[in-house]
Amino acid sequence: MSALRRHRALTRIWASDPGWKGWFTTVNHTDLGRMFLLVAVTFFVIGGILAMLIRAQLATPRSAFMGPDIYNQVFTMHGTIMMFLFAIPLFEGLAVYLLPKLLGTRDLAFPRLTAYGFWCYVFGGSLLIFSLVAGIAPDSGWFMYPPLSSEIASPGINTDFWLLGITFVEISAICAAVEITVTVLRYRTPGMSLPQMPIFAWYALVTAVMILTGFPPLILGSILLELERAFGMPFFQADHGGDSLLWQHLFWLFGHPEVYIIFLPAAGVVSTILPVMARTTLLGYGWVVAAAVTLGVLSFGLWVHHMFTTGIPHMGLAFFSAASTLVAVPTGVQVFAWIGTIWKGSPQLRLPMMWILAFFVTFVIGGLTGVMVAVVPFDWQAHDTHFIVAHLHYVLVGGFVFPMLAALYYWMPHVTGRKRFFKLGETAFWLIALGFHVTFLAVHWVGLLGQRRRIHTYDEGQGWEVINLIASIGGFVTAIGFALVIVDVAVNAAVAIRGSRDPWRAGTLEWAMPTPPPAYNFASLPLIGSRNPLYEDPDLPVRLARGEGYLGDPSRDRRETLTLEIASGKPAYLVIFPKNTALPVVMAFVTGGIFVGMLLKLYWLVPLAASGVAALVARWVWVLGSRHDEGPQEVGQGLALPLATEVADPPGWWGSLVLLLGNATFFGSLLFGYAFLWTVAPNWPPPGYLQPDLLGPVLLLAGIALSMAGIRLADRRLRRGTGPWLGLLLGLAGAGAVGVAAASLLLGTSHDAHAYDATVWVIGGYVLFHAGLTGAMTIFLALRAAAGYVSGSRIGEVQIVRLWIDYTAAVALLGLGVSWLPGVLT
Amino acid sequence: MRDILRISVPLTIWLASFSAVYGLEGLVCSDRWAQAGRGALLMAWAAAIVLQIVLLLALRSTRFASPSGFVRGVSLALAGVALVATAWTLLPVAVTSLCL
Repeated sequence: MSALRRHRALTRIWASDPGWKGWFTTVNHTDLGRMFLLVAVTFFVIGGILAMLIRAQLATPRSAFMGPDIYNQVFTMHGTIMMFLFAIPLFEGLAVYLLPKLLGTRDLAFPRLTAYGFWCYVFGGSLLIFSLVAGIAPDSGWFMYPPLSSEIASPGINTDFWLLGITFVEISAICAAVEITVTVLRYRTPGMSLPQMPIFAWYALVTAVMILTGFPPLILGSILLELERAFGMPFFQADHGGDSLLWQHLFWLFGHPEVYIIFLPAAGVVSTILPVMARTTLLGYGWVVAAAVTLGVLSFGLWVHHMFTTGIPHMGLAFFSAASTLVAVPTGVQVFAWIGTIWKGSPQLRLPMMWILAFFVTFVIGGLTGVMVAVVPFDWQAHDTHFIVAHLHYVLVGGFVFPMLAALYYWMPHVTGRKRFFKLGETAFWLIALGFHVTFLAVHWVGLLGQRRRIHTYDEGQGWEVINLIASIGGFVTAIGFALVIVDVAVNAAVAIRGSRDPWRAGTLEWAMPTPPPAYNFASLPLIGSRNPLYEDPDLPVRLARGEGYLGDPSRDRRETLTLEIASGKPAYLVIFPKNTALPVVMAFVTGGIFVGMLLKLYWLVPLAASGVAALVARWVWVLGSRHDEGPQEVGQGLALPLATEVADPPGWWGSLVLLLGNATFFGSLLFGYAFLWTVAPNWPPPGYLQPDLLGPVLLLAGIALSMAGIRLADRRLRRGTGPWLGLLLGLAGAGAVGVAAASLLLGTSHDAHAYDATVWVIGGYVLFHAGLTGAMTIFLALRAAAGYVSGSRIGEVQIVRLWIDYTAAVALLGLGVSWLPGVLT
Repeated sequence: MRDILRISVPLTIWLASFSAVYGLEGLVCSDRWAQAGRGALLMAWAAAIVLQIVLLLALRSTRFASPSGFVRGVSLALAGVALVATAWTLLPVAVTSLCL
């Protein structure tokens, strides 16, 4: 088969639907990555306009431009949009677009999940933007502290938009994190062992795991605050045993890792682009990997440094102060690795490199002011002043936006297939870099002079007038620079001349394909033996186009790719991806019904929409799999591999495992909240603890035993070629028993009496939900077995259900145990 | 998967011990709990350091070390980092005021 015929055949198999329909039915990562990036940039423009409104307001003292009510909405939405609707989704978009190409595979692990996450992001983000346009936007600051954000202080719908809109958007982040983790671990080209992975993949993996473990505390906090606002469950009300500091803990358990979730992908971009610009390879690859992992984990031990002024005992402050200073070490390792890379290479000052240099200067300054605020006595002085505003902008703009601009100019030829011709980008660079530093050096200064953040105006005669005016002028210069970047990209994408395939002479696999990239990425998958395959084998792209790799034969007419063993890079099994479908957009829309129902207090809509989602999930899963064994499949190079449906650890099992990591973090955060309230909150103990009778614990233990034994019995019988029915029936009975035991918690307490009762309600609800879920999964598995999708060799679905049952058993035992314990002890 | 665990476990244990000691400090300083005092905190700190040393030695041993040189190097570096992090970030249990 000629390369052209192969290209046509693969394009027909992999392409999105033509026309407008394709926007809604695509599951292709290249298209979805571009859509993610486009929407994220749109939100960035909106957030940027809000920033200009803030600077216009603060340019002069006693400004009448905005009143405090509008100003509160503007600064809240500026922070919210930039953090939740721009920074994280931009990383998601970049990873969705780039990762499969860097890893040498044809798509992400779960293409429909990519699309579902995208549409959740669009709908959730739109909800927030609607609130802004309607003048009912959140106005309690982007970290939404109660009691300011509680029903008493903020009775309107504004705060609900934030809590529900952000939680909706976070579904997208969790989806992307599951995708990225499973893709990096399993979906790489043959030969790509762990040390051969492109450095960006390591950063993406660390970031994805951080999202999985960092976002659940905020999701929990948002749910608790919404429950308090909607149903009076007093988690944060001191007079009922709650504590507003619990919100701060949950928020910053998310919020500080969030800073690194934003920074690490940018560091991955720098580590990828810098060696190419310096015509060399990355110095200290292993050390950089270790630094990225270190930074990822250490960042979870820093959250209290946002709470230094809340009255926490000195020893607690000292723990987090020490950890905050320690985190500078892995950051320094990376910076020195980058400097060493420049040192050993021959750097060329092209536009991506200019942005990287701007990143160095800005981020190092931001890092140093970070060390300053890590020191408790200094933080006490600078807390809630504009110094902190300047510090976080140096870190986030310098540490994220500038590297992303480097990425934009580096990968733009890949996205457009064109060579940049108009040189507006250089002018934009100087406007942004200089404008930014003028703005935020001034903001540092005025912060040190005592100007507080989130205050809509200030009086004359405090020495702040000129500094604020300078900051505002710098801000507008920066904005003009960003506008020029957008014009530059649009003009070059539309009319610039066609470019060469690898304009930077890079070594990574994304340049081993035609540009703009075809829907299938690689006509055949390479076997690689180095981190920079194109340096080792410059003819690789031609050979791949000729089909001289794996899966070069499109005659089976299906979307195929390979998975690997994690460490060794040996091919493991063949995956067949689903085709284009509107299911993700429909499911995201129906998911929106849950949030809109809560927002508008149309509570009947919530279970209706949840049932709709459950039905769509069943449809989603039902179309996968096969009713007959197909045996090993030829994948090229004389290799035959089993199908994913015929292994014990299919992609769904890995996805479930990774999702359960996030789920466990959610549950752990709930237990942390319970322990925190019990230990610290005022007005404890509650009037009465839940007193369990014998029936509850017996039901719980019997349910756990039945469900765990049942799924194992079903597994064993299927492998022996007999029916799984008895095992599934036992499993269903077990789930029912666990559910009844969990329901007894809800029946034994009053949800709004005390924070203890409210917490027990949430724990009981969590366990009840999981019991219901595993019960539904067991019924679904029975239907699948009856329809012939499950057999002794097609056992993967049983393993997935087993994973969820085991998890449910663990959380039921722990959750119900800690709920009953106080009653038993007193 | 084992190589991923070798890389991720040392710092995860640091995070667990860091959180546990912070939680223990909360308990020690809470008037709803027995005043266990600084001794409990010091013992927890010492136990966390010993655990990290054991982990570091285990990752060097032929039984638990990765067959991949890259993974072995990275996991040992991270185990060293975790040991230093445990010693440094929990040092306040010995040198700062307890519940002030």
